[in-house]
Amino acid sequence: MRVPLDALAELVPGLPALDEVVATLDALGLPVDAVHELPGAPAGVRVAELLEVWPHPEADELLIARLSAGVGHQTEVVCGAPNARAGLRSAWVPPGTWLGALETTLGARDVRGVHSDGMLASPRELGLFDHAGGLLALGDDALPGTALADLWPPCTVLELEITPNRADATAFLGVARDLAAKLRLPLRHSADPGDPAALDLGDPSVPDGLRLEVDDPVGCPRFTLRRIEGVRIGPSPVWLQRRLAAIGLRPRSNVVDVTNLITFELGQPAHAYDLRALEGGVLQVRRARPGERLVTLNEETLTLDAGDLVIATPDGRGGSRALALAGVIGGAGDSVRPDTTDVALEVALFQSLTVRRSARRHKQVTDAHYRFERGVDPNLAPLASARATTLLAHLAGGRPHPGISASGADVRSEPIAFRPAQVAWLTTLEVPLDEQRGMLERLGCQVRAPGAEAWAVTPPSWRVDLALEEDLIEEVARLHGYEHIGSTVPSMAFVPPAGDPTHRALRDALVEGGFLETISYAFTGAAELEAARAAQVRVRLSEPQGLERAVLRTALYPGLLAAARLNHAERDLALFEVGRVFLDDEVERVALLLRGQRLAAPWLPGVPVDFYVVKGVLEQLAERFGVSLELRPEAPAHLHPHAAASVVWDGVDVGHVGRLHPEVAAAFELGETYLAELTLPLASRAPALSSVPRQPFAERDLAVVAPLEVAYAEVRARLQAAAGPWLISLEPFDVYQGEQVGAGKRSLALRFRFRHPERSLADAEVEARMKEVMEAARAAGYTLRT
Amino acid sequence: MLERALEEITAAADLRALQQVRVAWLGRKGRVTERLKGLGALAPDERRAAGAEINALKQAIGDALEARERALEAAAVQAQLERERLDVTLPGLRTAAGAHHLLSQVMHKLIDVFRSLGYEVVVGPELEDDHHNFEALNFPPEHPARDTQDTFWTTDGRLLRTHTSPMQVRYMRTHRPPFKVVVPGKVFRNEAVDTTHEAQFHQLEALVVAEHVTMADMRGAIEAMAVALFGPGTRTRLHPTFFPFVEPGAEFAVWWTHPKTGREEWLELGGCGMVHPNVFRAVGYEGVSGFAFGFGLERMAMVTYGVSDIRDLYRGDVRVLRQFRGVA
Repeated sequence: MRVPLDALAELVPGLPALDEVVATLDALGLPVDAVHELPGAPAGVRVAELLEVWPHPEADELLIARLSAGVGHQTEVVCGAPNARAGLRSAWVPPGTWLGALETTLGARDVRGVHSDGMLASPRELGLFDHAGGLLALGDDALPGTALADLWPPCTVLELEITPNRADATAFLGVARDLAAKLRLPLRHSADPGDPAALDLGDPSVPDGLRLEVDDPVGCPRFTLRRIEGVRIGPSPVWLQRRLAAIGLRPRSNVVDVTNLITFELGQPAHAYDLRALEGGVLQVRRARPGERLVTLNEETLTLDAGDLVIATPDGRGGSRALALAGVIGGAGDSVRPDTTDVALEVALFQSLTVRRSARRHKQVTDAHYRFERGVDPNLAPLASARATTLLAHLAGGRPHPGISASGADVRSEPIAFRPAQVAWLTTLEVPLDEQRGMLERLGCQVRAPGAEAWAVTPPSWRVDLALEEDLIEEVARLHGYEHIGSTVPSMAFVPPAGDPTHRALRDALVEGGFLETISYAFTGAAELEAARAAQVRVRLSEPQGLERAVLRTALYPGLLAAARLNHAERDLALFEVGRVFLDDEVERVALLLRGQRLAAPWLPGVPVDFYVVKGVLEQLAERFGVSLELRPEAPAHLHPHAAASVVWDGVDVGHVGRLHPEVAAAFELGETYLAELTLPLASRAPALSSVPRQPFAERDLAVVAPLEVAYAEVRARLQAAAGPWLISLEPFDVYQGEQVGAGKRSLALRFRFRHPERSLADAEVEARMKEVMEAARAAGYTLRT
Repeated sequence: MLERALEEITAAADLRALQQVRVAWLGRKGRVTERLKGLGALAPDERRAAGAEINALKQAIGDALEARERALEAAAVQAQLERERLDVTLPGLRTAAGAHHLLSQVMHKLIDVFRSLGYEVVVGPELEDDHHNFEALNFPPEHPARDTQDTFWTTDGRLLRTHTSPMQVRYMRTHRPPFKVVVPGKVFRNEAVDTTHEAQFHQLEALVVAEHVTMADMRGAIEAMAVALFGPGTRTRLHPTFFPFVEPGAEFAVWWTHPKTGREEWLELGGCGMVHPNVFRAVGYEGVSGFAFGFGLERMAMVTYGVSDIRDLYRGDVRVLRQFRGVA
């Protein structure tokens, strides 16, 4: 929210310099995001009154205006603005004036054959606010001939970040209250001078010819409607235009500007109806009828439902017509117009939830909705109405009716049981009792029974965020200053359990093995998952950022495939990701991708990545983790049907490894690619150390020929069983397929090692075991190759 | 005679030729051996003198053979070494170095710090529900505070967690104080993506609950972390702010030297506060106090290592990933 520094200075007399204000706001929890120095009006520009306006002889769209720029100084300019008319006070830019907003110096010139002595300027041309649809329109307070820069000097604006709990700080008043409380300065409340006689509150007992019908006192707990007659719609005085421009609003007319000022100054939205819009002077607050339509003042047509609260008036045919979406946005037809003379001023309170839901449903983000949604001071409406009424009387010449139509009443917050000792208990700040009391009172709280261990602290109506003792502890700590909180280390009887929830050992092993870690998005496109033949999508986002981010991934490898596609220029890739996938349950996994060469130099033949390279990576991992690894032929849809396996890690099936199916590879524009994807955590076993055996081993080789479809694991299992208890290792040292063994067969050359734990084995003993092995081989239908 | 023998020895070009020379002179039928055999025919006096002469000759030839053999061996080794000469400037055969992702490095650096401070590391689900992500953390339904965390809802009414704080609820419901835990993890916000904002990012948050812990303990914990990360003497700053699940709440900053600009300044890191009584109520705790603090890892990684576009962290471009080698 933007707050002009001079607005704060008016509310807090004695306000210190900018730097201290910024530091104080930061320390209060109203952080200053930026300080804007807004320029004043350009030097040389003068207030001028248009005396006479007539059409340009050569151009339909242009006008010639004779203007007075001070006593005895008349001149003529050409202009094309729609609001140029006799009597308007505006800004005359003499030739030779530097206009910073346009980065140009204005010269004297002829416009279509008519000499123009400088120009009349729009607010944007003057760099005052963003409006180029007409000339700057000034009120009676601006005297012709005055240097505009004297009336419109530069201005400092603070941009504050307001947290959602601080409804009160969405107004200058709330920010000023915090500053005054922290700096121990007085606060001058523009709508509550403390003397009721000084306020034009209106007397509800005096009939004012208006009728207020509030159907829904929950949605609208409070409503005030004030009749003000005889207003003259016109430009606001310069001070009000400057203030609105400083907070980023466009000044429009005195009546509208006053309601906008109230919103920002007090945090109380307000709206002025042209009295002619209220049929019979009746204003209704009711739920909308389903399907009822409302054209907003932005010319948008909203289709309402029963959840919406509307301001309405009888339609003259026995029904009711919506005028505005309560607390959110006004309608197109009800607001003040240039010819408005009598207005009905609405200052009301609407329930946060109702306003929030309507604003969201209709996607209307407005200054009013922002404040109602957070919670407007429930007791503010009459005061704000009085402040607005006084301004309308002064600035628009209005005559307030002595009566007022109102509903609802002041509410009183529940007292909070507050133990001042808890401040030190929770924050360690030692704040004396009288100081704590003073702080709470400066913030507007009422403190009863001081001296007792627990006080009854009633928060002010504007602090809707204060409900618990801890809330008050924060208030005391905030005013005392968080900077006084020390730094201690608690001693606690807590021994954290060990563990590796982030799978660091795994990541370290893979990185040592030359893998680059990637992190991809948890969401992806359904089409991408389908192209990768991943498991069916289970979870979809209801409002995704595009189709390619619409569903939660069901596997990690599609992300690696996408990365490989992105890195198509890289011959060798070794990637991994640790992440979560979303199936019927959320599962954490690791995925690997390998392609190209594993061990390479540019001028030497490297080791091309194939199935056994990937398997080797898994084997090494299993060795490192101290567990067994077994692969069983099995191919999920995305892998090559004859070059893939399920991975059995420490006896548990944890995933798959294999060559990417060539069709999937083609879909991702990839060549031969290898993948593995395993469910985490991967079991690991602490190493069991044993002494190194001293007995030598005996080694025997044997080659068996078996049909191609007989897996090595099967051959091994049979022969291992036959080799007996002294076998310590059995490994293939050659695998041969070709003429010498015949079609459909292959030869496996196996190396057996035997060792007896306690003694040397005699040759005869080893030969006897090998005889068993050979018999088992023959029994299985293998032939022995010699 | 010796002269001739030495000539032949010098002329032997390799060990085999030298062996032939040895046999020719000192072998069983070699010239010197033959002369020794002839000694028997001489008179004893002559025999002694001639014997001494022949032995001297034999010794001289033997020495020369020995020397020549050593020289030839050395030359053979030299020749072998010469043949084995390599061009050491050609590239080596290698598996390219791997790398932890930058965010993993930052995460594990922080985990090390927190482990050394006695914290347990826990992780939780990314797909959460309204109860754990919001309601139990004192975000009432329809509260404007929810707007500060634009949420990815799923069509079945769940959500992607907007912060790591749901793990506070999960952990507290399954453990009893006292404890100190730290939760790293991915979080998600449905916000417009640009160079500094991603729809997916990482947070790390700490939660400490015991019979009596204070805001000073919280500041002490933040300071200990800051010192471990940025060096001794690192200062911290707390400013009041609002998060629904803490009261009092604060944002914290550390005073550091920006590695790029070299300027000393406040680095706003994250949020913190004392656990809100409504959160304790939601998990069934009574008579305890606690604090929590958390922050985004991307921001820390970006300012520390000068990453200019947050999206580079998630693209999987190996030209980026390779730069993460040895970053820590």
